[in-house]
Amino acid sequence: MKKLMTIVAFAVLAFTFAMASATAEETAKVFKFYCSQCHGLEGKGDGPNVTKDFPVSPRNFTNAKEMDKLSDADLKNVIMDGGPAVSKSPMMPPWGKTLTDADVDGLVKHLRTLCKCKGKQG
Amino acid sequence: MKNILTVALSVVFLASATSSSSADPAAGKTVFGAKGCADCHYTDGPAKEKTIDDQLAKKGPELWYAGSKFQKAWLAKWLTDPKPIRPQKFNSLTEENPADHPKLAGADAGSVTDYLMSLTSADVASGKVKPKNNPKGRQIFTKKMPCSGCHQYTGRKKNIVGGRSGPSLVEAGVRLNPDWILAYLQKPKVFKPVKMMPVFVGLLSDKDMTNVARYVANFKPKKK
Repeated sequence: MKKLMTIVAFAVLAFTFAMASATAEETAKVFKFYCSQCHGLEGKGDGPNVTKDFPVSPRNFTNAKEMDKLSDADLKNVIMDGGPAVSKSPMMPPWGKTLTDADVDGLVKHLRTLCKCKGKQG
Repeated sequence: MKNILTVALSVVFLASATSSSSADPAAGKTVFGAKGCADCHYTDGPAKEKTIDDQLAKKGPELWYAGSKFQKAWLAKWLTDPKPIRPQKFNSLTEENPADHPKLAGADAGSVTDYLMSLTSADVASGKVKPKNNPKGRQIFTKKMPCSGCHQYTGRKKNIVGGRSGPSLVEAGVRLNPDWILAYLQKPKVFKPVKMMPVFVGLLSDKDMTNVARYVANFKPKKK
């Protein structure tokens, strides 16, 4: 019986873990499909749209110093409503009508893994 | 007088003969199948893509509304001499467009054009968009919204500017049906339910979208 319990507990744990990683995988797909056009596949701000006449430098998400100045709410805000919502360039589109809330929350977490930073708190 | 009449009659006869012999969608459908076009382009709507994976699995753009999207003269010419429309390879952010789209010989290009032009969408209302360089459309396209971030177009100094991830809009007024540009902005879910371009419904008004469509439809070769 104890053995069965252990197996069940392990299965539940494995399932939970699988669900969590599937979500991260889904977010990575969303990032690659939409964001990397300008921010690059690794989030360094060097996507294929960034040619010499691109008017601004898309954010390099691996720059912890810059990324630490922004709270998670700031990130969500700029993804949903675009650059002008945070006094930045309109070249950053408003994705609020394209992405779901869950997509955007996933992306905020994804950006934190790219910058390896927690961002402005509170 | 008799001469003029003969000439006029032959012109009418020639015109009618040309138009009736060229309109052959059924023959074009056969060529489309035989040449393997359907390996990369699907022609039976409505849109099938539901997820990002569905979109990425496609090898080329869907053509089920080609007759509402393209201009016939442009399509017939392009099929005989296909120049890249997208700077990047379809669905790729890392590879350039290899410019290897198959060419069709004149007669095949004509019949495939007739076939593709027969594939229309009831979601494109006709006669709504008159191409015009208008300041409001230009301001949205170049400043207010990030259109130029992903689409190339001809700048004021006649140089090509803009991003590379979307289809080029250089001379889009020769390629695209102006009414389709508006319909595409207004009904993204109908034409491309999963796409790299943001949805602007709810962000731009119908008037704004009409102005953008008029502006883009006015992208034509400069008169010399």
